[in-house]
Amino acid sequence: MALLERSEWYDIARATNWTPKYVTDSELFPDDMTGAKGVPMEKWEVYDEPYKTSYPEYVRIQREKDAGAYSVKAALERSQMFEDADPGWLSILKAHYGAIALGEYAAMSAEARMVRFGRAPGMRNMATFGMLDENRHAQLQLYFPHEHCKKDRQFDWAHKAYHSNEWGAIAARHTFDDLFMARSATDIAVMLTFAFETGFTNMQFLGLAADAAEAGDYTFSSLISSIQTDESRHAQIGGPALQVLISNGRKEEAQKLVDIAIARAWRIFGVLTGPAMDYYTPLTHRKQSFKEFMQEWIVGQFERSLIDLGLDLPWYWDQMVNEFDYQHHAYHLGVWFWRPTVWWNPAAGMTPDCRDWLEEKYPGWNDTFGKCWDVIIENLLAGKPELTVPETLPVVCNMSQLPICAVPGKGWNVKDHPLDYKGRTYHFNSEIDRWIFQQDPVRYRDHMTLVDRFLAGQIQPMNLMGALQYMSLAPGEIGDDAHKYAWVEQYRNNPYQRKAA
Amino acid sequence: MSKHTGADAYRNNRVGPVLRTSEITEGVIEAAQEDNPEKEIRVDDKIAYVRIDAEGELILRRDTLERTLGRPFRMSELEVNLGSFAGRIETTNDYVRFYYEKTL
Repeated sequence: MALLERSEWYDIARATNWTPKYVTDSELFPDDMTGAKGVPMEKWEVYDEPYKTSYPEYVRIQREKDAGAYSVKAALERSQMFEDADPGWLSILKAHYGAIALGEYAAMSAEARMVRFGRAPGMRNMATFGMLDENRHAQLQLYFPHEHCKKDRQFDWAHKAYHSNEWGAIAARHTFDDLFMARSATDIAVMLTFAFETGFTNMQFLGLAADAAEAGDYTFSSLISSIQTDESRHAQIGGPALQVLISNGRKEEAQKLVDIAIARAWRIFGVLTGPAMDYYTPLTHRKQSFKEFMQEWIVGQFERSLIDLGLDLPWYWDQMVNEFDYQHHAYHLGVWFWRPTVWWNPAAGMTPDCRDWLEEKYPGWNDTFGKCWDVIIENLLAGKPELTVPETLPVVCNMSQLPICAVPGKGWNVKDHPLDYKGRTYHFNSEIDRWIFQQDPVRYRDHMTLVDRFLAGQIQPMNLMGALQYMSLAPGEIGDDAHKYAWVEQYRNNPYQRKAA
Repeated sequence: MSKHTGADAYRNNRVGPVLRTSEITEGVIEAAQEDNPEKEIRVDDKIAYVRIDAEGELILRRDTLERTLGRPFRMSELEVNLGSFAGRIETTNDYVRFYYEKTL
């Protein structure tokens, strides 16, 4: 039997809006859940998803994608990747799976909200596929690391991280709760699918795939780039939603959602993808610097799309681009310093050759971040490793849940951006983070950072051991330098000399 | 991207697919050149992904792809390897079009 082409039946099949008889429209689609911002149902009828698929096509294509990802895994299972990979690369895998896998389940819930409460039939339709996509991503990214659990307990954090109060997990949950778990269908379309997925997921799932291929980890490269092909489709749910909002006089509200989402995504990718690309990936396998990937994906591609849809650059645009030069270096320094508190082994990425590369990609690096690493190296060479681990608490940002940090050394610009709100002083990494809080203080005010909890006595005993227990980091899981400090020997009797320009 | 660097690098009009490593990449590049004869097709190979783009608009037609790949091809199959794309997208059974509405 000849089948009709999709275009011949799609518009009719998709027209699923109806007039309810037994309940009112506002009971069926409460504005709190739809986030339609008062734009009535008929105005959403023009919503036209640009990247279309149908259920038969979806099943066939997804089957092919899975066959590809699993066959690459099966073919390379005996390749000794785990045994042969640089320890820094294994740390990337551990950080990735822990930070991402269960976040995908969260994204599935968010897609499900669009399926039920999306105001446009096309949005509900595409979100149904998006929901299945996110389920696929969670399952793949729990299954792939599982083979390594028996060799290395840190891989168990692929599943464990989100169930813990480890600081990175708190930061990820806080961000994802804000961007899509605790948002309406329309807000999810804008913040998750448009801002997060057409923008930032490309950094982790395609940018990092480029480094993975260079590092010879074809299983991971194939897996994450396959996942991104799903994202590429369902991320297109957001664009037409933005167009409906803008053409119905809701540009200001839409712009604010986008600005919040970009700012929050930037922080979480700064701490996750930044160190992975500029420090953990072995030098010879780095395809581009983190900053260059940001220029390619976020500035050149994502921001361009945003303007095409009729939005403006975020008000903080220049400041954020300025942060590409330093924020992730500061996060890396912090993660390495507080290394017992993460579920992977941070790679310092600090050989003399690495420092030359950092200086080339980020001129001035040795005069700023390099100064801190000089002290760490000095202490390690002097046999005083205890001076390279923390004895005090960081000041943590009440928005990002990450330490407040910026440029040390000669370029010092570290500054708290405090805000007094109803008897409590909140601290922020920048005016951008503070601005987000001010948009909806009631939403954020009661959350306690890990340090707030420590100071409130919730973490006992009040020392590193108590903190590790609170974060569920067991022996065998607690992080340490990925290369067991072997790199430090390159500096013995041979202080770092900057390569002549 | 363009001659612009830094904060204003968004001032470009490059559109097109970003394909993951795949057996169709060469065929897609060839089809892009055939289907967009007036355009200079730029190919940026990052091993794990290949960025194929042109100024303002880039079309890929099913007929052309069937010829360059030497096999039947359904337009929806592009999705298996379409990791990302620059610009907006229009998907039909016969072609996929990448474009921007505004020219910067």
